[in-house]
Amino acid sequence: MLIKNPILTATNLTKRYGPGCAKCLEQTGPDYGRNQCPVCGTVIACAGVDLAIHPQEVLGVVGESGSGKSTVIKMLHFDIDADDGHVGLHTGKIETDNRVRNQNVLKFSSFGKRQIRNAVMGIVYQNPHLGLRMNISAGGNIAERLLMAGWRNVGDMRKRSAMLLDKTEVPISRMDEAPRNFSGGMQQRVQIAKALSNEPVLLLLDEVTTGLDVSVQARVLDLIRKLQQEMDVATLVVSHDLGVIRMLTTRTMVMKNGRVVEAGLTDQILEDPQHPYTQLLVSSALH
Amino acid sequence: MSLAESIEQLPEQKHASYSFAFIDEGAKREIRRQTLKAVAIPGYQVPFGSRDMPVARGWGTGGLQLTLSLIGPDDMLKVIDQGSDDSVNAVNIRKFIERVTSVNTTTDTEKASVIQTRHRIPEEHLKDGQILIFQVPIPEPLRDVEPSERETRRMHAEADYSRMWLFLYEDIVKYNQITIGSRYPVMVGGRYIMDPSPIPRWDIPRLHMGDALFLFGAGREKRIYAIPPHTTVEPLEFDDHRFNVEDFTDKVCMRCGSENTYLDELVDDATGKRIYTCSDTAYCEKAARQKGLLNG
Ligand SMILES: Nc1ncnc2c1ncn2[C@@H]1O[C@H](COP(=O)(O)OP(=O)(O)OP(=O)(O)O)[C@@H](O)[C@H]1O
Ligand SMILES: [Mg+2]
Ligand SMILES: [Zn+2]
Repeated sequence: MLIKNPILTATNLTKRYGPGCAKCLEQTGPDYGRNQCPVCGTVIACAGVDLAIHPQEVLGVVGESGSGKSTVIKMLHFDIDADDGHVGLHTGKIETDNRVRNQNVLKFSSFGKRQIRNAVMGIVYQNPHLGLRMNISAGGNIAERLLMAGWRNVGDMRKRSAMLLDKTEVPISRMDEAPRNFSGGMQQRVQIAKALSNEPVLLLLDEVTTGLDVSVQARVLDLIRKLQQEMDVATLVVSHDLGVIRMLTTRTMVMKNGRVVEAGLTDQILEDPQHPYTQLLVSSALH
Repeated sequence: MSLAESIEQLPEQKHASYSFAFIDEGAKREIRRQTLKAVAIPGYQVPFGSRDMPVARGWGTGGLQLTLSLIGPDDMLKVIDQGSDDSVNAVNIRKFIERVTSVNTTTDTEKASVIQTRHRIPEEHLKDGQILIFQVPIPEPLRDVEPSERETRRMHAEADYSRMWLFLYEDIVKYNQITIGSRYPVMVGGRYIMDPSPIPRWDIPRLHMGDALFLFGAGREKRIYAIPPHTTVEPLEFDDHRFNVEDFTDKVCMRCGSENTYLDELVDDATGKRIYTCSDTAYCEKAARQKGLLNG
């Protein structure tokens, strides 16, 4: 197998909510079964998280509610500021790579971060209200990203939006309707179309099927798998659902209480979990 | 108390204890400093310490303070409201400035050195050395797409204007055209999106690469901004949906016969027919006189 440079390399990603004290890190984590510091009350949403995502790879992050999965994805998308950590990018898009070369992009200005985000990332949130403007047409939601990238031809933008909606199995006839009127599954598919509009190098998916009916979930997962094969986009899949992780990912990280407890090939983790927490997760998923 | 009454009660400047042009010198200096900053950063909104004026805010106090802080005894002043020198507002503001400065006034655009305006640019080409001062009700062009001031400031700072463009895109999707009438957003100097004040689209192209200095003052919102001479001013438009001005094809001014001016539409009481007259009344009169349509 050809090992290429990772698109994204993150080390020591750390986010806390609270004042922080000298004991925060040593008194929290899976060994204590908590993410809140007993001394100062600070919540360590995640700490010391290392990860690398390779081109075309699908990496999973799994863990119970509150384990810090969304925190990791939001820091990578610059939605929230990290308290500590380093993120290096090597996207293959020359303009971006020249800008970020050997630098910690977490330290960029909000302007610089937005440029990177617009150029190489796409995100789909669990809650479509975070990813879509509900009162703007579905096509407009996609056009917004194209406008950010400097598109100035309405006809061209509509063509591209229609193509993306078609790809994500949203009826093109509803392109000029606001997603407010759409079903949950359709809203997620519009979010996916929007996330793909700028041909991202890295796609971030945060619990995209959580909250959907089981049959709708299956359709959205099928769609994501189909798109992955077509577009070869590196993807980070965050889910508390091992079924989703099994279906979509090749490598997986398991999180608990803000820390990574285990990482490896998804198949191996599911067949032969090492950490007691992962063993519990896998065995409970089987029943 | 109406503005007209308060003006009557003001002693004339030469007999009065207040400073030339009503505003005290310290305040004038501050406004001039902020104006210089505005000129240095075309299209950027500069905050200033708006003073109380004997006119209710929202009635042109921003423009008025700019005029008063810039005008000197040798200036020639013109004041218009929607193109007219004779409307109550224009008359009152002109009278007030006259009283507190004793400057000469005119209705002739060519002769004026300082023109204060609400909602129009005079038809005649403004020259090098002239200053046009706009009264601005809403200085923030992004306000309709983003209510938060903090966020609009960030958008300007980062030139993050996709929301404004999206607004125009949605307009086209819904109506197959951009429906903005007045206050058409423009890009100034290729950097800042600016609100040109509620002038008609007709006037927008005349902001582009002008010879005169354009200043904008918003009293209630305490902002000054500027378009210095020879600055690019481009209305936002798409490659396939171009900006266009109001269409007066086949319409002429019934007073002066002009075919290339911004026209007001009226309905003739007697006949019920639509008739058109120049919105710039001083220009209309001049044109009529030149064509021998008026005596005196
Ligand atoms: N704004 C905030 N203020 C305080 N604590 C927060 C904040 N955001 C997140 N947290 C805490 O950080 C921890 C990690 O939250 P995060 O949202 O990353 O969990 P998650 O793994 O995504 O959970 P879920 O599966 O429920 O989405 C939780 O304990 C959460 O309560
Ligand atoms: Mg989450
Ligand atoms: Zn006329």
